[in-house]
Amino acid sequence: MDPIFAVESLTRRFGGLSALDDVGFNVARGSIFSIIGPNGAGKSTLFNCICGVYRPDHGRVVFEGREITGQKPNRVARHGIGRTFQNLELFRNMTTMENLMLGRHMHMRSGVWSGAMMFRRQSRAGLEEVAQRERVEHIIDLLGLHAARDRFIWQLPYGTQKLIELGRALAAEPRLLLLDEPAAGMNLEERHDLVFWIRDIRDELGVTILMIEHNMQMVMSISDHVLALDFGRMIASGTPREVAEHPDVVRAYLG
Amino acid sequence: MLEQVLISGLAYGSIYALMGLAMAIVYKTSSVANFAQGEMATISTYVAWVILVSHGAPFHFAFAGALAVAAAIGIVLEFAFVRRAKQPTVLNLMIITLGFQMILYGFAGWRWGADQKRLQLPISDREVFRFGENTISHLSLATILIAAVLMLAVYLFFQFTRWGTALRATQQNRNAARIHGVPVNRVMAGAFALSAMVGAVAGMLVAPVTTLDPTMMWDPLLKGFAAAVLGGLTSLPGVIIGGYLLGIIENLFGAYISVEFKSVVAFAIIVIVLCVRPSGLMGRHYVRKV
Amino acid sequence: MKRDYFDDVRLARTGAARLWLAILFVALAVTPFLASPFLLYTLNLMAVNVIVAIGLNILVGYTGQISLGHAGFVAIGAYTSVLLVSRLGVPFPIALLAAGFLSASIGFLLGLPALRLEGPYLAIATLGFGMATTVVIGRTALFGGHMGLVVPPVRIGPLDLSSDRGIYAITVSTAVILALMARNLMRSRTGRAFQAIRDSDIAAQMAGVDLARYKTLSFAISAFYAGIAGGLWAIVLGFINPGMFNFIVSVLFLAMVVAGGLGTIAGPIAGAILITFLNLQAAKVQTLPLIGPLLEGFSRQFMTVGGLPNVTWILTGLILILIVVLEPMGLYGLWIRTKIYWKTWPF
Repeated sequence: MDPIFAVESLTRRFGGLSALDDVGFNVARGSIFSIIGPNGAGKSTLFNCICGVYRPDHGRVVFEGREITGQKPNRVARHGIGRTFQNLELFRNMTTMENLMLGRHMHMRSGVWSGAMMFRRQSRAGLEEVAQRERVEHIIDLLGLHAARDRFIWQLPYGTQKLIELGRALAAEPRLLLLDEPAAGMNLEERHDLVFWIRDIRDELGVTILMIEHNMQMVMSISDHVLALDFGRMIASGTPREVAEHPDVVRAYLG
Repeated sequence: MLEQVLISGLAYGSIYALMGLAMAIVYKTSSVANFAQGEMATISTYVAWVILVSHGAPFHFAFAGALAVAAAIGIVLEFAFVRRAKQPTVLNLMIITLGFQMILYGFAGWRWGADQKRLQLPISDREVFRFGENTISHLSLATILIAAVLMLAVYLFFQFTRWGTALRATQQNRNAARIHGVPVNRVMAGAFALSAMVGAVAGMLVAPVTTLDPTMMWDPLLKGFAAAVLGGLTSLPGVIIGGYLLGIIENLFGAYISVEFKSVVAFAIIVIVLCVRPSGLMGRHYVRKV
Repeated sequence: MKRDYFDDVRLARTGAARLWLAILFVALAVTPFLASPFLLYTLNLMAVNVIVAIGLNILVGYTGQISLGHAGFVAIGAYTSVLLVSRLGVPFPIALLAAGFLSASIGFLLGLPALRLEGPYLAIATLGFGMATTVVIGRTALFGGHMGLVVPPVRIGPLDLSSDRGIYAITVSTAVILALMARNLMRSRTGRAFQAIRDSDIAAQMAGVDLARYKTLSFAISAFYAGIAGGLWAIVLGFINPGMFNFIVSVLFLAMVVAGGLGTIAGPIAGAILITFLNLQAAKVQTLPLIGPLLEGFSRQFMTVGGLPNVTWILTGLILILIVVLEPMGLYGLWIRTKIYWKTWPF
């Protein structure tokens, strides 16, 4: 196995409570890796520790052989890790296009002066702006967001917003994509499309996917590897079938 | 020398503590940082001055009148403006209090002009008590005592009355309080009224030392905020301690370093505290969940 | 479908917009030859306030930070440019730029502690900054203390531009250039990063935006605008003293931004023009037809006549509150709504 990403004995406590307790795993390049677990199992805390929102008390996060433990979110992003959020974190007062352009932020150069001097098409910022908008248009094509292109986020339905968040993460061309409950709040049809897109992202763009998801059906159908957490501990890890049949997982889910 | 500096620091600190307390009461209950607090106190002090000078009434009359007007202004701010905010974001609520501040500032200037008035208290700021080598003016002593009594009263009010309990409940969780039958709207108005009265007392203690004019409370407002930041906006005892500390630090700075730039100390303290410990000495810091 | 992506960021997208822009520029160019000195003075003040408001809006409207100390930056700009010209004989344009950059550096420094602050804490810190600035200026001999400084005549090379028209040429052209630059900047990478921070700081970070860098940058740019405006304010008024830059003036600047509409370029321009107009009218409110005598009579009866100009504060305060209560997007929102109304009329 060629691990693109690894977590080693990650621990994070809040007060006396262990939200994460000695969690460690490897994610193979080009795989879809799912994390399941009941509410409060520490899944989101795990993502926040990876992305630098929280600093872990103990343990390491390694991406492409480089340790990134405790680095600030923008540093983590620059290494090539993208993320979506459990409760949408979109730029609500900006248009879809502008949201996606934020995804290109790291790949753009123009600063204050060249931005302020963007009077003509041939100006530095003007050229860059046009080139990057063309690239973002591909993502709009891919996710079918044409109708939403120039509308503000707050004008759009929830399902579309979830897609835009996915699109924004993709626009940054990450090599590892963290999806925090991508299917939450979606109806059956939307979920169907989502499964299709996630596969596409992996197969076509070669992005490794690390995903938190509650919907077992979806997890079982697309994951290469599943990890189950409960009260911050790993209780099972393996293929979808192995994990689904693990007695501790059954117990955690059924009470 | 040092003791003298500490004593006058304590007197100034009492005022800052009162202003800080006034702001913390409102901030804790409604997350509104009330930038109109200073002007509200100024208007109340003007009212006391009018009752004293124009009507020749005895001082306790003026004092009571000022407090009543303060409470009314506080209720108006809450009921007529803060409650009406369409999107009660931190920024919008601040803007409302800033707008109210401008209205009151304009009103004071229009009604009483920009010229400086003198509020004469029955307590002299010239006569002094002596003890050892040190002196303390009657007014400073009264300031320290009145502030201490008032703060104790506010504490008792919070701990032992039904209104106080309702206020604390609202502070902790507005919705839970509402579900348990606390009349949250009225409690909020009450918090604004209480805070305005505390501010008014500060105003009446400041006016005899400085002069009475529409900008009188700008400086104490900033100091009150500095006290609140120093102690932690969310902790009432913290704010009071912050006020005393600020008064003392400021006076030490004035005595040993520079009198001229004494009032820059508050800003320096705000910046330093916010850099080192943003939640203040005793406050709690909240982190948003994602 | 082939799309021209530059259209998204172009200054004027349609022919009509280009025409209006051209008309506006022509109007601004011919005004000094037709207007009375008082009107020119009014326009000069408006141009200065437009610059402050646009800059403040970059901070408040676009980046979602707040400043209650912008008068402090304006003061720094004003004193810097005046002292550079009068003491060191620096040519005015260079002094003005230096004023902007000094103000920007101080804005950057103030932005550093502001990194860790949100909402009321930031407001308090900037309030403290504004007050501390006027205290320091008022107590320092170099700055003329409370008496202030007289502004030397404005010269650019051999040209004496101290007349109202000369000053108009400087203030209005600067305002136009700075407005256009702000607009470009807000449509480009930097401006998008600011807005992203405003709407969701964590998502902005995950898009690779360095919060510290961009927040301080926003403070610096905003302070740059205020500094330039300060230098211009000095030449418009002819004298400066610390009292001109007090707390209430900072709130007034904020009122211009809020009145116009946060997070737009046209908004603060409209807001600055409106509030400046109100302020100047209030100073001579007695001479207004109808309202003037009425207010004067009322003042004589219940208030003081000398304090009558203070109605401007009351009005501005009411505008601030009403906007938050009724129309959070300010004048700009009102304009958009009217436009939609007329488009769909009579349905």
